[in-house]
Amino acid sequence: MGPKAIEKKRKVQDPEPESDDEIAPDFDGALSQSEDEFDSDFDDNEHEQDGEQESGSEASDDEDEEGSLLSDDIPSDAEGDKAMGKLVLEDEEEELKIEIPGVDPKRPEKDDGEKNYRIEKDANGNERYVYDEIDPVYDSDDSDAQEAPNTIGNIPMSFYDSYPHIGYDINGKKIMRPATGDALDALLDSIEVPKGWTGLTDIHTGNPLNLNDDELELVRRVQMGMIPNELENPYPETVEYFTGIEEKMPLSAAPEPKRRFLPSKNEAKKIMKLVRAIREGRILPYKPPEEREKEEEEEEQYFDIWQDEVPQEVNPLHIPAPKLPPPGFDMSYNPPAEYLPTKEEREEWEKLDPEEREKEYLPQKYDSLRKVPGYGEVVKERFERCMDLYLAPRVRKNRLNIDPNSLLPKLPSPSELKPFPTVAQTVFRGHDGRVRSVAIDPTGVAVASGGDDGTVRVWELLTGRQVWSVKLSSEEAVNTVRWRPAKDSFILSAAVGEDIYLMVPTHASVTPALDQASRDILSAGFGYATNGQQHGAAPGKEPPAKWARPGAKLEDEGVLIRITVRSTVKVINWHRKGDHFATVSPSGQRSSVAIHTLSKHLTQIPFRKLSGLAQTASFHPLRPLFFVATQRTIRCYDLQKLELVKVVQPGAKWISSFDIHPGGDNLIVGSYDKRLLWHDLDLSIRPYKTMRFHSEAVRQVKYHKGGLPLFADASDDGTLQIFHGKVPNDQLENPTIVPVKVLKGHKVVNKLGVLDMDWHPREPWCVSAGADGTIRLWM
Amino acid sequence: MDHPTESGAQVRVTFTTQEEDIQLDESKRQLLVPADIRRYGLSRILNSESMLDTDSIPFDFLVNGSFLRGSLEEYLNANGLSLETNITLQYVRSLIPPTYEASFEHDDWVSAVDVLSATSPAGRWSGDNFQRGQDRILSASYDGLLRIWDASGNVIGTSPSGSHGGHTASIKAAKFLSSTQIASAGMDRTVRVWKYTESGESYERRGELKPTLELYGHTSSIDSLEVDGASKRILTASADGSIGFWTTSKASAPEVSDSSLLPGAHTSKRRKLTTSVTAAQRGPLALMNIHNAPATAAVFDPRDRTVAYSVSQDHTVKTIDLTTSSVVSTFTTSHALLSLAALPRSSASAPLLACGTSARHITLVDPRTSTAATSVMTLRGHANKVVSLAANPENEYSLVSGSHDGTCRIWDLRSVRPATKDEGGMGSVSEPVYVIERESQQGKKKKSGVTGDGCKVFSVVWDQLGIFSGGEDKKVQINKGRGVNAE
Repeated sequence: MGPKAIEKKRKVQDPEPESDDEIAPDFDGALSQSEDEFDSDFDDNEHEQDGEQESGSEASDDEDEEGSLLSDDIPSDAEGDKAMGKLVLEDEEEELKIEIPGVDPKRPEKDDGEKNYRIEKDANGNERYVYDEIDPVYDSDDSDAQEAPNTIGNIPMSFYDSYPHIGYDINGKKIMRPATGDALDALLDSIEVPKGWTGLTDIHTGNPLNLNDDELELVRRVQMGMIPNELENPYPETVEYFTGIEEKMPLSAAPEPKRRFLPSKNEAKKIMKLVRAIREGRILPYKPPEEREKEEEEEEQYFDIWQDEVPQEVNPLHIPAPKLPPPGFDMSYNPPAEYLPTKEEREEWEKLDPEEREKEYLPQKYDSLRKVPGYGEVVKERFERCMDLYLAPRVRKNRLNIDPNSLLPKLPSPSELKPFPTVAQTVFRGHDGRVRSVAIDPTGVAVASGGDDGTVRVWELLTGRQVWSVKLSSEEAVNTVRWRPAKDSFILSAAVGEDIYLMVPTHASVTPALDQASRDILSAGFGYATNGQQHGAAPGKEPPAKWARPGAKLEDEGVLIRITVRSTVKVINWHRKGDHFATVSPSGQRSSVAIHTLSKHLTQIPFRKLSGLAQTASFHPLRPLFFVATQRTIRCYDLQKLELVKVVQPGAKWISSFDIHPGGDNLIVGSYDKRLLWHDLDLSIRPYKTMRFHSEAVRQVKYHKGGLPLFADASDDGTLQIFHGKVPNDQLENPTIVPVKVLKGHKVVNKLGVLDMDWHPREPWCVSAGADGTIRLWM
Repeated sequence: MDHPTESGAQVRVTFTTQEEDIQLDESKRQLLVPADIRRYGLSRILNSESMLDTDSIPFDFLVNGSFLRGSLEEYLNANGLSLETNITLQYVRSLIPPTYEASFEHDDWVSAVDVLSATSPAGRWSGDNFQRGQDRILSASYDGLLRIWDASGNVIGTSPSGSHGGHTASIKAAKFLSSTQIASAGMDRTVRVWKYTESGESYERRGELKPTLELYGHTSSIDSLEVDGASKRILTASADGSIGFWTTSKASAPEVSDSSLLPGAHTSKRRKLTTSVTAAQRGPLALMNIHNAPATAAVFDPRDRTVAYSVSQDHTVKTIDLTTSSVVSTFTTSHALLSLAALPRSSASAPLLACGTSARHITLVDPRTSTAATSVMTLRGHANKVVSLAANPENEYSLVSGSHDGTCRIWDLRSVRPATKDEGGMGSVSEPVYVIERESQQGKKKKSGVTGDGCKVFSVVWDQLGIFSGGEDKKVQINKGRGVNAE
């Protein structure tokens, strides 16, 4: 067992040194082939080191072995192994090849002298080698040695057909033929196919040749088109042999190549070329002096960007830049002793955070100026000084310290200001196309409207029932409708193109008496008309307007008078007493504003010349004043003295409408530039308040005339805005203006929203005329 | 007492009622009931033999002023009360949701509806003359015609057109005086009294409307008309702000004082309407110009026919003594008033006045001068002007309102809550019990953001036959009212 143990030990111990020894030379060669000479040098060095280490380890190994076993064989064995390293490897390979016979031919050689067999005499008296049973050592390669195969060699098995055995094993023992079942067994076998059954028989052993599990798995995998070996990874992780990452530390520590220290012959050649060219005059090393002068001249062109600057006047509130304090003793390089910090002060200063320090420096004493070092904080100090200058205020500004909320006026909440209209309650449908104008009659029962379809309609206010209608024109739109503001009559005026119609919309609810009274009022002036024209208008001049009957057809409908003026009338406004009304036709040059007298059928042009295009005009509700709005201003004229009283300048670009407060001292103006302006006529010609709450032009503005502190505006954004506007009785107080409600409902059609609106004479209700063809009652 | 004895808590309840005929014995009023019991269960308990022993009257239960909608337990939880609380349940005859029955189609907007039945005022006034089963419905339309319908929706009679003695403009109000007499008024400023006769077999009745009287006096559209068949008096409210008081008897009616009101007084071309039928023209017994804005409704006191109440857009309710034609008292509210109904009260001498406002609610006014607060209660829920009101003919606490928002709403005055701060914080507020939509608007998309656009209700009447409403959708809609007012 002794040698076996040794052998075992060697096998256990050897692998490390063996492999190291073997692999290293092989590697070196392989590398040296691809590497530079320098690298191989480097490797050689390394190898030497390795060798040393190895010898050390070998020595220790030797010692160990000597100490433990005291055997002579071992060093030689090891040496032999070392020398034959490659051979051993080859042996193993060979072993693999010859495995199938099961005999290791080299084994006897390896066990120099030691015999692992004994010689016996066989049946014929010849020598026969009987080998020892192989001890299946754990690590031995014989672990997978197969059971003793048949040793009969390559002869047909039929030779043994007549014998009970089928051959001999390696020890010469007969291999008996396995018992074969009878036909029934064979049949059963064929029916009940065992796992891995192939139907073949191993000729050498006579056993059925079945496939084991691994083989079956292999077959299955091949059939499935998979990779036969389960363990093999078909997609191994790629090993990045070459990468773009530049290593910071080079793997190679090779010394600088020699060529880096030698002058380059190639460069010398190039230089010689240049030298030769200079010598031959092909290249000029410097520019000729004249040329250089020229260039210099060109370069010296500077521009004074401040040449045109005019010295600015110094702002009276200018503050000169803050000055630095002059240096004191503590800044001296040789300060008096009392300025020098004590040890505690120094420590304290050092402990403080740099930002918290009182001074940036500590006074220091030097023997002479020559010994003063550079000041380390100079850059930081300069930078901070620059920042101070940059951020220092240059002009004194008086800042108000007022809470912004306190500036907001204290407005009452809308819910306290009820009643005001909040929702649309009735929709008046019937107009074809835009409704341009709407008006509630003085009794508050009927609504009149006029629109693009050329009709004037009268509706019942609460139910939205149309009770009367007349078609005044088939081509032109009704621009405006207004009721005569007196309860003793039921007269409606409407403007279509250049015609103004006066009508009595007699529906069933109008009593014959009222109807007759209205007709009488209208026709009373016919006698005057002829007289008036005779002496009123200058001979040869066309009268400003023609008062006439509109024809039998319209007269039957209740339209009684047609007044034809020179240009399209856009606005009608009645005097409160109902005898006069003013019309405005913005396109009419001189005759844009006209005042008509109903009782005399007389039309007068009050202005020979008007600065600007007249937009709208209105009578003062109490006094004999007349207001005319041009695009930018509103002028107030005294009708008795016939003089200009006041010019109101709302500051709007284009006034669309205005309305005078029933109290007479306030005015609201709507403008096409989206603004609503409140004027206090006594206070100023400028607006008291400007409200810019609409997103589109404001078309119409109206005060509530029935005693409620309300006013509203209608806008092209499809909304009406309702405001609470209380004018106090006390002249000293300012009016309270609170927006209370936005009435939404009208659709915007072709960028036109609400075109006109009117208040109910008593209730907080209003009606609006929309470009969407509807009139709405809001309450 | 076989109410289900399920597991769970029990609550002690005390049943009370204000209705005399269904009072419980003193001993039976206190009861332990399961906490998860609902209205139906409680109603069954009350109807059981041991309690009232009635034939299943459906009951509703008022707890602390509001109707019990869920279980008792839910009510207790919602109000943070413990199960130990003794709950006082006031049981009332149940209101059953009014179900849609029929619609009568018209050519134009329907402005007024009235009913002639055994239980309607006109039926009672006509006494024995009224034959049972001859229920008639009167509708007035904006096309100027009155139509008489039978209960199955056939037009029996139509009033003549304007050229034949009928109204020359839209009719705004019409009422049965008796089974043979009808009064109507409208935008042509006249009140007309018609004689109504029927002929033919029961399956093919033909009615005839003959103008008997034309009453002149108002100078503007007459918006409302109220009749008293017993004394043959008519009360009208006109947009000229006056209240007219008329008689239907030709003999006692005075002559027209202001002849300018008569047609043909002025011979303008359009006025020359030749009428083939001429009715007698009479003036008012009294014309009281007491409102300075359009008067919108006037009613008789349900008990004392010499007292009338009127409302106007000038925000006032006025009590009028008809014998002297003078205003007794005036109550000013904060909104324009558009409709009026008098709810009789057994407990007080004066009725409760329900006034529909333009501000979308109904104000209840106690017209007695002695009361401190004029506005008793506010009924909120409508989304548009309330233009018609009718009291339940059978009790004192429910009414129906018609509004321009296209709904009729039924209110129960017993269900009350105090007003929130948004609503002014004063008085008490009630909400509708049921809402009757216009059947013609079912499934229609709203054209505009205005509620009731195209389906305004102009008139509503409550009779035992049902709730009749007419409106802008040109229909008279009938909703079953039988169950709504209990047996």
